[in-house]
Amino acid sequence: MKFGIFYEISVPRPWDPGVEKRVFDNCLEQVALADELGFDSVWAVEHHFLEEYSHCSAPELFLTACAMRTKKMRVGHGIVVCVPEFNHPIKIAERTATLDILSGGRLEVGTGRSATWNELGGFRANPDETKRTWDEFVRCLPKMWTQERFGYQGRSWSMPVRTILPKPIQKPHPPMWVAVTSPGTEIDAAERGLGSLGLTFGSVKEQETKVQNYRRIIANCEPVGEVVNNQVSTVNFLFCHEDTEKGNKIGRRMLGTFNFLAAQLLAAREAYPTKSYPSLGLLPSLRKEASGPADPAGVPEGIAIGDPERVLRACKRWESVGVDRINFLLNALETIPQEEVLNSLRTFAKHVMPHFQDSSSQAAAAGGGR
Amino acid sequence: MPLSGTMDVAAFAAGAHLAEIHGFKTDAWTLKGAQILNVYYEVDIDLAQQLLPVTVRPVIPAYAMFNVTHYPESLVGPFTIADVRLGCRAGVRPRGFTLASYVDSEAAARELAHRWGFPARVGKVALRAFHDRIVGRVVTAEGKPALEVEMLDRDFISGGDIQYVSSMHLCRNREDGKLTIVQCDPEWTFSKAERGRPNLVSFDSALWNGGDKVRPNWPISASYAIADVTLSKIRYVSDPNQDAFRGTTQVAA
Repeated sequence: MKFGIFYEISVPRPWDPGVEKRVFDNCLEQVALADELGFDSVWAVEHHFLEEYSHCSAPELFLTACAMRTKKMRVGHGIVVCVPEFNHPIKIAERTATLDILSGGRLEVGTGRSATWNELGGFRANPDETKRTWDEFVRCLPKMWTQERFGYQGRSWSMPVRTILPKPIQKPHPPMWVAVTSPGTEIDAAERGLGSLGLTFGSVKEQETKVQNYRRIIANCEPVGEVVNNQVSTVNFLFCHEDTEKGNKIGRRMLGTFNFLAAQLLAAREAYPTKSYPSLGLLPSLRKEASGPADPAGVPEGIAIGDPERVLRACKRWESVGVDRINFLLNALETIPQEEVLNSLRTFAKHVMPHFQDSSSQAAAAGGGR
Repeated sequence: MPLSGTMDVAAFAAGAHLAEIHGFKTDAWTLKGAQILNVYYEVDIDLAQQLLPVTVRPVIPAYAMFNVTHYPESLVGPFTIADVRLGCRAGVRPRGFTLASYVDSEAAARELAHRWGFPARVGKVALRAFHDRIVGRVVTAEGKPALEVEMLDRDFISGGDIQYVSSMHLCRNREDGKLTIVQCDPEWTFSKAERGRPNLVSFDSALWNGGDKVRPNWPISASYAIADVTLSKIRYVSDPNQDAFRGTTQVAA
């Protein structure tokens, strides 16, 4: 099991001068500490126009700053929107290769297609087309990274033969992932040999079935890249505090704030009838699971909130169903003071990480970080 | 913090046509073969916020739903109703706050107002299906054009692709005289569904209790469906002066 941290970068109103800078600075301070503590990776979303919920519209810049402040942590796009109105595929190949170089070969590339009308409508993208454009992009990217010269004539985009530069450090190329939100996307990931980057919690039982399907299908995949990434990652909240009551209370407040924020956005399916988005997508799933059946402390099953013992139980539960990585959201709208977030990371590293055999954190956790 | 509605409820109630609901205990009403036209447009969010009570929060981006539905059979005979709603959230749930409704049948308007609090007035409401478009038109009883909305370029989809949201109605409860918000949770069983290009031909915000504040500025989508609709019994009512988390009461299971 590996542990990462995951950023939406939510910024509370009022948006007085400096508030965004303070939030970004807090995130970067957390990233630096997480690197010292032995967390494996930092991930950043790409979202646009999502007021308060996410101000992370240029993740490649944020991740570059993360790479400059860390030594070991991998830096992950969680995800790059593979829709031409958002990102031209040539630019994605160039930017990711550059980030791989600057990070010393620590890049992970998550791919996806956006699920809100805020974004799809804002860029005037056609919701019916996003699954198809994503498929074209993920088939082209590895070739753009690995072939000296590349040309393409496709459905959503084309280019004459050119040399796309620079090339990534990692060989054959950085690991690729797919954001799994809509039902069945884990199958799309498995068939293409791509990692499953879970961005909804899902119940543990539901996730177990998905993981089994994924493992069965990826064993016979036709990889779009030159390497198969057969890892399953899930996302979770983290607030770990030695005082049980305080851990539960503050953690629940973060959950509630996140749900409240996410609800205000307009899911693609609510606004635009299409079979391309069979579920309401990421946001309601996060809400549903984060407000699902709870234990006596009021914390839903599988959510990493509470004292170290409870957080350990939650993580072990995910490990037991075959999840390889958990990426944690650490805050929402800055409801948790920065010092408490940092302490939560330290407490997790000290009391929870050492219980996981494959965690790269053990040595660092024993040291306790700064 | 996230945005909330900023409507002055008392002022709005004084100037708007609101229903008088006859208590919250009502039986479900199933209406077979409804023909439903829904057209969504983005609207100015700062103004829309002023048309939402603090009970709910605007969706970002704010959007208005223009709905025209023909019910070919009912206990009070066939009728056609048109609503204008603003997309919102009650707590974390998607809802449409109904600003006003027009119905072409006095009996139907009475049923809908007394049983579910629809802010319904009698007017001329028509829904016409042509080979290339579906058209909804509303003219007030005084002869003022209130709405003309179209779905162009008809294309078949599945009913499962359509995601309607429940509506909320500000009304006055006859039993205690208080203003309240009633949540109406219909159930839909689709037999046909289409999607097309939305086109708002004309719309007079003032005739829908919106003053000059409902300003459509960007088309989103249009759908047309045939479905059996069941207006369920009322389960939740809310205080229009409190947010939905604090001010919602369950009145039936």
